[in-house]
Amino acid sequence: MYELFKNLGDWLTSGTQWAGSDGIAHRLAEHLQYSLLATLVATAIGLPLGLLIGHTGKGAFLAINLASFGRALPTVGLVVLVFLAGGLSMLPVYVALVALAVPAIVTNTYAGMTAVDPDVKDAARGQGMRAHQVLFQVELPLALPLIMTGLRLALIQVVATATIAAYVSFGGLGRYVFDGLAQRDLVQVLGGAVLVAAVAVALDLALSGLQRFLFRHRTA
Amino acid sequence: MSVDWSWISGHTDDLTSLTVSHLQAALTAVLLGLLISLPLAVVAHRIRALRGFLLGLSNVLFTIPSIAIFVLLLPVSGLTRTTTVIGLTLYTLVVLLRNTVEGLDSVPARTKEAAKAMGTRPLRTLLTVELPLALPVIMAGVRIATVMSISLVSVATYIGDGGLGQLFTDGFQRNYPTPVIVGVVLTLLLAVVADALLVAVQYVLTPWKRRRA
Amino acid sequence: MTSMNRRTLLGALAGTAVAVPALSACSSGITSLDSQGGGPGGGGSSKGGVTIGTANFTENQVLGYLYAAVLEQAGVKVKVRPNLGTREIVIPALRGGDIDLLPEYQGALLNYLDPKATAAEEGAMQNALTLALPGGLQVLPYGTAEDSDAFAVTRETARKYGLTSLADLKKQNGKLVLGAAPEVKKRQVGVVGLKDVYGVEFKEFKSLDSDGPLVKGALKKGDVDVANLFTTDTDIEANDWVVLTDPQNLIPSQHIVPLIADRKADDTVRKALARLGNVLTTAQLTELNRQVDKDKKDPEDVANTYAKQHGLAK
Repeated sequence: MYELFKNLGDWLTSGTQWAGSDGIAHRLAEHLQYSLLATLVATAIGLPLGLLIGHTGKGAFLAINLASFGRALPTVGLVVLVFLAGGLSMLPVYVALVALAVPAIVTNTYAGMTAVDPDVKDAARGQGMRAHQVLFQVELPLALPLIMTGLRLALIQVVATATIAAYVSFGGLGRYVFDGLAQRDLVQVLGGAVLVAAVAVALDLALSGLQRFLFRHRTA
Repeated sequence: MSVDWSWISGHTDDLTSLTVSHLQAALTAVLLGLLISLPLAVVAHRIRALRGFLLGLSNVLFTIPSIAIFVLLLPVSGLTRTTTVIGLTLYTLVVLLRNTVEGLDSVPARTKEAAKAMGTRPLRTLLTVELPLALPVIMAGVRIATVMSISLVSVATYIGDGGLGQLFTDGFQRNYPTPVIVGVVLTLLLAVVADALLVAVQYVLTPWKRRRA
Repeated sequence: MTSMNRRTLLGALAGTAVAVPALSACSSGITSLDSQGGGPGGGGSSKGGVTIGTANFTENQVLGYLYAAVLEQAGVKVKVRPNLGTREIVIPALRGGDIDLLPEYQGALLNYLDPKATAAEEGAMQNALTLALPGGLQVLPYGTAEDSDAFAVTRETARKYGLTSLADLKKQNGKLVLGAAPEVKKRQVGVVGLKDVYGVEFKEFKSLDSDGPLVKGALKKGDVDVANLFTTDTDIEANDWVVLTDPQNLIPSQHIVPLIADRKADDTVRKALARLGNVLTTAQLTELNRQVDKDKKDPEDVANTYAKQHGLAK
């Protein structure tokens, strides 16, 4: 075990390991690109959907069940399926990552919306606010903490799962995990895993920082 | 991309055994996860100093790619079902631990005080008052963990296990969609059925909720 | 995340590992405990059944099921675990007792065990293998069928760069992309040997798969210039790909050879596998691979049908 960690230290700190097209810097950038793009697309789909369901109260049962269905989708199967249907591109990876992230975003957005006190909404309407004003000026800000929780959860899962890109020949930090598996090079696997975890934790901290920044007025 | 129905009818035995093996891996993991989470959650619930540490640890576990966990376990448990189960168990902890702690937290202090006032011993209070009241929240965690595990088992196909996941690598290598489609559909069915059964279990385990409803 | 967290985490990991095997062993058919019968040396016994493992490509699975068919005919209880991974993964599993028998390839296996090995002729290679194998493992007599690694380019690439042999690649150093399974990056019959023996350096190495959809797709699309394939793949001919010749004999002779744990190597197993080895030809094996990859037949069915047709099983 000690040996493994010592070698991991060497692996992580060697300059040659960081440089080049198979270097950590490049793989890290790829991994961030896959994860952020997938989460962005998932947010573009999941957030409006969750807001709509939460605001109108319609389709909640269907959406929540679909979301739990989505959680059961096996990522490996989805990647292979889209690959067989459409050939080799990043599309299978993005489809799988988005499918993974959307349920967390929808359910948390919906939960955030339903947690808003009906009296507050009534009061807003009583003041003459239009439906979209109630949604964007009252409900959304109040639901934001739970929405952010959903986003953070989705992002963590996407970062960990973006590893799969390497299975279909692409890059990202998963390259180290899959190559390390094929070569039985555990240092490389551990290195990849540590970097993925570090990226996930760093992005999560960044989002929670953003969240605190957004709500700095509320506690004051 | 079309489904080759004759492949399915010719492979019912294989599909059955893969489904059983898939379910076995997922359920063993959830059960082990519960066995580990319950005592840890009690500790985290009672001792605030350990709470952040334990929950943080399970969160960090969750950020490690599952495939990496399986590979890193190879020197310990080899290409076996044990490796699959340990990996999956670690993943269930994030949900099970959090929900169990939250479930215990949700028990009103007054209820616990009442039990104490009646002279009930702490362990008995835990088993007969706190855990049953925490059950709905714990069961919500069990449901998520079960669905998650069922979906994750297939990752172990990279280390030669993985239940229905073997259909994915097989279809991939031979450019053959049928096994992949069947694998995805069966995984989803397993998740839906398992979830429905857990709802039924919860219904049976929490009679007081029923009476109120 | 701090390194302390990481260490606690792995400590916890190891801790669970110790606690769990007893429990999960009951839930699976595979346990490493009951396969350690039979001592070192020749006196193994297949009475308790033989678990055959196979690597992650079509042909190895066909071979695994062929082994299973002939062993079953000989009255041995068998279990096949297909698609376990690369040689780097499967051989430790064989040593660890997770599996007992593995279809292997002489040259590639020797290179794995001893990258500096020089034996090239099949008899010498068999001796070298016996010497290089760790205790507890042995190779049985090699079969007639062969399957070698091949480095192939498209007809167009061959013309464009004037490529006919591996030696020609050197003239294009730094220009071409090699596509192969990830392990080939570290293997002698791969990036290492191509550099040592032919002085070839690629612009890039792309991690793909073992003669699977990724590497063949990439060669077709032009994403890679040179692809590592197997000589028993009918796609090479079908696509009119050019296999580069190997004047310096980097790629060793590759007869198929059963690699088995001593504890299972009894006479029944030896005889059954030797018979298969004598019957199965390279052309037949190529055809079996084609049936799996192209006709989408099951490796298991293909193997059983072959065994019946050739009187190896009923």
